[in-house]
Amino acid sequence: MAKYYDIDDIITDEEIVAVIFQKSASGVGIDPSSETDCVEVGSKVELPFWLAHELQQRQAVSLNIPTSFNQNTRLEIQADSACVDLRSRCPFFYEFGCKIAPLVGARNIGPLLLSAFKSRYKEVLTKAHTAAFTAASKNLTILTKEETNLYEAAQSSMAAFKKWRMGGPRFQKASILGRKRKSTE
Amino acid sequence: MYGRKACQLVKELASGEKGQLTPYNSDLFDQVIAECSQHHLELQSLIRKMQEEGLDVQTTRNADHYGALIHHLSLVRNKRCLMAYMYNRAEIIRSLIWKVGPVLPQQIQEKLSHTEEEYFKKHSGALQSYMSRLDLDLTVDMVPPKDPYIQVRVLDDIGVVLSDDKTTNFARHSMHFLKRTDAEQFISRGLMEELTS
Repeated sequence: MAKYYDIDDIITDEEIVAVIFQKSASGVGIDPSSETDCVEVGSKVELPFWLAHELQQRQAVSLNIPTSFNQNTRLEIQADSACVDLRSRCPFFYEFGCKIAPLVGARNIGPLLLSAFKSRYKEVLTKAHTAAFTAASKNLTILTKEETNLYEAAQSSMAAFKKWRMGGPRFQKASILGRKRKSTE
Repeated sequence: MYGRKACQLVKELASGEKGQLTPYNSDLFDQVIAECSQHHLELQSLIRKMQEEGLDVQTTRNADHYGALIHHLSLVRNKRCLMAYMYNRAEIIRSLIWKVGPVLPQQIQEKLSHTEEEYFKKHSGALQSYMSRLDLDLTVDMVPPKDPYIQVRVLDDIGVVLSDDKTTNFARHSMHFLKRTDAEQFISRGLMEELTS
C-alpha cells in the first residue's frame, strides 16, 4: 500500500503477461479471440499484470513466464550485459522481475536480475561520470528506468561538483518555468 | 483492454520531466470515469443474475463470479490510477508556492484545472496566514547570504515597484543593486538574473 500513488509502480503493473484461464468467466471482454463476451477454461489471454496477479491469487488463471525473462534474454545478458537493450523488453525490468519471480516459481529469475544489475551498474556509472553529454545519449536508449535514474543522479552530482568548484549564481529561475526564455515581444 | 486509458493518464504524468506540470487532461479523465461507470453497471448485472439464479453471492465460484471479479478489479485499478494522477499533480502544485510565490505565472495557470487553481489559492492562503502569524517569511533562501545586497539585471519590463520606502523603476536591461530578499522573488519568476563578478 505504501506505493499506492507511485507512478512507476502503476506503470510496472501494466506490463503484459500471458495467462491460461483455469476457470471460465462471463460478461467480460478481455479475450480478443473470443466471439462472445465470455472466457472459456483453457483459453490463453494476454492480461496486464495487475489483473493477472489478482486472478492468480484466486486460482482463476496460471501465469506464463513473460518473454522479457526467457532463455534468449538470459543468453544475451550472459554474453554482454551492458549492451542488451533492456528498455525495449521492459522499461521496468528489475521491478517487474521482482514482482513476477515469486508468482511463476522460476528460481533463476532472481540471480539473473542480480547479475544483470551488478554488471550494468558499473558500466552506467563510468559512462555517466566520464562521457560527454552528446556522446552519452546513445547509451541512454537501452537503459531501464531505474538505470536512467542512476545515470541522471550521477550526472547531476558531477555537475554539482563542478559548480561548487567554479562557483556560480546562487539564485536561479524556478525550474518549473521551463528552460526556454520567454520570447521577447 | 480494461484499465488502458487510466494507465495512459498516468503515463502522461511520467513522460513529463520531473517536477514539471503537464496540461490537465480532463478529456481522458472523464473517459476513465465513464469506463468506471460501465464496469459498475456490468458488475451489478452479473451479481443480479447470480441472485436470480438463487445462488449465494458470497460463496459461489462460477463463471459469473469471476466475471464480476474482473470488473471489480478493473474498478479498483482505475481508481488507483485516477487517485495517483490527482495526488501527484497536487504534490507539484503544493511545491509551486515555494518556488514561484503566491502568484502563478500565466504559463503554469493554463495547465491547471479549475479545482486545482482553487486548491493552490487555498493552500497559499493557508501558508500566508501561517507566515504572518509567525511574522517570518519562510519562502526565502535557506542559506544565509555573505552579502545582504546583490547585483541584478532586469530581463523583462517590470515597471515601477515600491520597496521599503522608495520606488524603483525596473526597466528592461537596467541593472540594480538590491536587497537579496527583494530580488529573490523576481529571480525565481524569471524576471531578473543575478550578476556575479
